Order: sequence, then C-alpha cells, then structure tokens
Amino acid sequence: MLGMPLLARISERSTGLLHASLAVLFLLFTTLTQAQPADKALYDQGAKLFKGNCASCHKPDKDMTGPALKGAVGRWEGKGDIHEWVKNSSAYIKSGNSYAKELFDTWKGSVMTAQALTNEEIDAVLYYADNYTPPVTDKPKDGAPVPGAPQETSNWPWLVVIALLLLVVGLSLSGVKKSLTNAVREAEGQEALPDRTFGQNLRAWAWNNKAFASIIGLFIVVFIILKLWDAAFVIGVYGGDEVPHYKPEQPILFNHTLHAGKADKGNLNIDCQYCHSSASKSKHAGIPSTNVCMNCHKAVDAGKVTGTTEIAKIYAAVGWDPAKQEYTGQQEPVRWTKVHNLPDHVYFNHAQHVAVGKLECQECHGPIDEKMDVAEQWAPLTMGWCIDCHAQKEVKMAGNGYYDEVMARLEDTDMGHEALKEYLEDEKISVKELGGWECAKCHY
Amino acid sequence: MSTIQRNPVMTLGALSLMVVGMASCGGDPNSPGVEYMPDMYRSPAVEAYVDYGQDPYYFTEDKARAQRERPSAMLPPAGTIAFAEDASKAAYSMPYPYANDNDGYEAAGLELRSPIAMTEATVEQGKELYVRFCDHCHGDKGDGDGPVVNNGGHPPPGAYSGALKDLPEGKIFHVITYGKGMMGSHASQLNKEERWLVVQYVKYLQNGGKMTRDGVVASTTPAAN
Repeated sequence: MLGMPLLARISERSTGLLHASLAVLFLLFTTLTQAQPADKALYDQGAKLFKGNCASCHKPDKDMTGPALKGAVGRWEGKGDIHEWVKNSSAYIKSGNSYAKELFDTWKGSVMTAQALTNEEIDAVLYYADNYTPPVTDKPKDGAPVPGAPQETSNWPWLVVIALLLLVVGLSLSGVKKSLTNAVREAEGQEALPDRTFGQNLRAWAWNNKAFASIIGLFIVVFIILKLWDAAFVIGVYGGDEVPHYKPEQPILFNHTLHAGKADKGNLNIDCQYCHSSASKSKHAGIPSTNVCMNCHKAVDAGKVTGTTEIAKIYAAVGWDPAKQEYTGQQEPVRWTKVHNLPDHVYFNHAQHVAVGKLECQECHGPIDEKMDVAEQWAPLTMGWCIDCHAQKEVKMAGNGYYDEVMARLEDTDMGHEALKEYLEDEKISVKELGGWECAKCHY
Repeated sequence: MSTIQRNPVMTLGALSLMVVGMASCGGDPNSPGVEYMPDMYRSPAVEAYVDYGQDPYYFTEDKARAQRERPSAMLPPAGTIAFAEDASKAAYSMPYPYANDNDGYEAAGLELRSPIAMTEATVEQGKELYVRFCDHCHGDKGDGDGPVVNNGGHPPPGAYSGALKDLPEGKIFHVITYGKGMMGSHASQLNKEERWLVVQYVKYLQNGGKMTRDGVVASTTPAAN
C-alpha cells in the first residue's frame, strides 16, 4: 500500500522524461529495423549466395551486366516463375514465356547463366536483394588534396626578398658612411670626396689591394668554371640523385602506387606487366591502350581519391557511356606525356632486360609501386649509369634459354674454358664479360 | 640626383632577373629541361610513343596538326595474320573461328580443345601468366577474392572451386579472348599460346590445385545452357 502512491508520485514527476526516452527508444528501434532486415539469417544466407553466384553480373541496387536484383520479385509477379528463370534461363525462354523473352531482348541478348540453386536459395538471394542497404562509405571530399597535383615547395622567392633587403641595407649604409665622411671632411675644411659610382670605388679598391683582389678574382673564376662543368654534366639528365626528377603532369591523374602497390596497404597489387604487357616481348614496355583500363573500369566508375572525374576521362577516351553501359564509338586518344626519353643514338630493349635479364621493373624505375603517385624518371639514364650496372650485374645464365649456346661454347671448348675461368674470378659472369661494354651493343 | 641613388634599382633588377632565371632552369617537374644536339636525340625515323605532332622540330605546323589527330596505337588492318617465326606455332596465328556471342560461347565450350598437353611445366608457365594477368581479380586460388575485388570494389568473379568449377576449357579460352560480363577481352595482352597456358592453370585450380588425369579435367561436360 505504501509502495503504490510512491510509485505514482515518481511517475507523475517523471512522465515528461519517460515519454521522451520512450520516443528516443522507439526512434532507435525503427532505425535499427530499417538497417537490419527482419530475418537476419535469411539475409546473410542470401548475401553469401549472391556474392558467390550472382555478383559477377548483378548488383542488388544498380544495373550492371544484368539488371538490379532489388524488386525482381515484384517485376516477375504474375508474369512467370522467377525460380525457373534463374535455374535455366535459356530453357525458360524456349518454353515460351513472354516476359523471359522480353528480359533477354532488353539486356541485348546476354544469357543469364544457369544457376544450380534450390528454390529456397533463390528466395534467400532475392530476399537479400530486396532488403539490401548500401554500406556507408567515406565519399572523397571536394576539397581533398589530389595526390600528384603539383605542389610548390621551392623557397627561392624568399631568398630573393632577403637578398634585396640586404642589398638595400648595404647601399643605404654606404650612403650614410659617405655623407658622414664628407661631413667630417667639410668640418675639417677639406674638399668633399668626388661623387664616385660603386664600380669606380671597386676599381679604386682593387688597384690599392692588387694581391688580394687577384686571389679573390681567381677564386671567383674557378668557382664559376666548376659550376659550369657540373651543370654541363646534367644537361639532358632528368633523373638520378643530381637533378630534380622529370615528373610531367599527365592528362589523367593515374596513380601507379594505388594500382601496383601491395595489397596489404589497401592497394590493388596489379602486376606491372598487366598493363605494360609488351615489356617482356618488345623493345617498348608499352603504354596500355584504353581497352586495358576498361577491363576493370567498366565496373569501377569511381576512384577512392579522385571520385569519378579521372575515370570519366577514360570513358570519354574509349567512348563508353556509363549510364547505358555501352560503347558509343566516339573515341579520342589519351595524350600521355612520355617520361623516359632515350636519345636516338642509343638502343634499349625492354624484353632483353625483363625476359632475358630477369630484372625487376623497380631496379630501373624506382619504387614506383610504393611512393609514385605520378610517374617520374627515377634513374639518370646516363651512359655511366648503364655501364656501371653492366659491369656489376651477374648474368642469370641458368634455365634462361637465351644463353644456352654461349654457355655450351664456354664449357665445351678449350678457349671457352680459359675465358670462363677468367670470368669466374669474381665468382660471377657479368654482363660486361659477355660483351655488355661493346660500343655496338647499344650504339649502332 | 647622384648615381649612387640610381644604382640600387638597376642592381636589384639585374639580380632578381638572374635568380628567377636560375630557378626556372631546375624546378619545374613538367619541363624535361635542355638537351645537347637535338638532331642526335630525336629520331628522323618514326619511333613508337614519340608524339611527332607536338614536335615542331621536323614538322611544319600543318603537318604537326595532322599528326595530332592520329592515334599512335592502332589495331592491325582487318584480316591480317601475324607472322609466326616458329612454324610449329603457326596455328596460333590463324583467326579464331568462334563469334563473340552466345552461340560462339556454347560452340567453343563443346568443340574447342587445348592444343597444349597438360604437364607440370605447362602448368608452371600458366601460373606465371596467371599471377601476372589474372590473380589481382580472381585471387591466388581462383576464389574471386583478389585485391582489385577486396580493395578496389570490383564485382567478384565466380570461384573456380565454386560457380566456375565445371567451366570447360573451350569456354575459358573464349572468355579470355572476348571477355564476358564484367570481364574484358584480354586478347590484346595475351596471345593465343599464352591464353592456352593460362587455361592450363585455371584447370589446375578448378581441380583443387592438383594435376588432372591425362591433363583432362574430369568434368568437361559442357553445362546445359
């Protein structure tokens, strides 16, 4: 009896609060039920089956090779048996169902692959599709910095400002000094100093300190010659440690690290030769034609960093209409900027280095899969760089095929034996020893 | 007005011009810089991947403009057959007889057989090509879980241990040649011999990572559709 009024009093006092919390709970519950399908087990089963059997061609909420599966049950309602269609679409079309025929024609005659699924499994997939909610993803912000966009890091404008300030201070000090000297001379009754230019002053000073001036002059001349000598060595050199790397802006912000980088860092780990597939067959590594881009980008229409802007450029070049999912035939070549430019008087062959020499791309092109959002010339590509490597690199003779004849002659003839012994003094056969330093290997 | 007051202006001007000039030589990543003797650097014979249309060194503006309109990478003329240096591989250069449609796909599945007998060596060669051209989507084991699918959001291809377990070799070859669904044609990257080697390794994966009896996957019966 005592408890009742107490409870009543409390409830009277906290009715407003209780109502509010009930409302919050209700809201929470409804949002939860929206995100979570009623039958979680069926949904999960459907998701698993969908990923294994359907996801190559269908998306739950978007048309791809085939139509979006969301609402498929509704679309089939009263027009035929969706189970029969999924199990064997060709047979179902032949059975004379008009909606099946209509679907087949709408999707440009691409056959829906027959699925070995039971009716319950098909229902699970369709349940999953109907209740599908896209996962929340972080959309790239508009203002997000684009990796590879040129960033100005040079500080020379500040150096100019400082130099100018020093110059102004120096000149005004010398002006003050001269005025003071003249004032003193005037006070002492002497004649004011003649108004002389800086050059005239300098000449007068040098005339009075001949030894010192000539030593300084010599230093300046030697310094300038050395600088010019060094500068002459990097003319035409656009990579290496001595110069800033040539890193031209490309028409499409293609990110090498994202495409070729390691999978455990969230990258795609595509082999370099997937796109540069002629590297093992031709002199050129090859710039992939846009059909190679489309092998993946037919489905992937938005990048992690740049969104749709850069991938839309591929679509424009190859003539792909992402809305209709078909080629328009309107093509426009992508005007890539060539990064590595070897002079015409030297011959270089990728296949020889990749297929025969079995070099990794990174040995010459640098950490392109680790930290090159924009491709740059990493190696200097000077002759010194080439022949240094030819002198050190061991030739991988075994199992190569290319060197079988050379190896046979080295092992089977007396002359060959002697040569081989000489080669193996440092326990390896270098490229140089097999003629890698012959002028005509590269210059002809 | 004494000369010393006029001097700073001129000196400043000259100095800043010098500094600006030097900075522009080294800093711009878009500029390849200067080169010695361009006539020894640029090939008069046409080289691949050189944009002669942007190079006024050899061409007048008219010719340069005409060049700019032309793509440098082009398909061979229709009907040409590649020359086979090795006569034993001449058959690979012959045209592929099946059309890029459903009938062609089915016919390839029924009729097309690999010209390469399955051995440890061919599977090994196939694996090398598979790693280079397939595994970023199809995954190491062919389960359709490569990094392009997992990290890149590409729709997953069917698993060789699951949905594609019984896909006959003719259909595999046909799909590499023309593409199917979301997969594009890989004919520009793999020649026919390489495609058959890839097929060898796919068959090996279909068989659970084991060599098959007589090099033939037990269930090559084409699917009903």
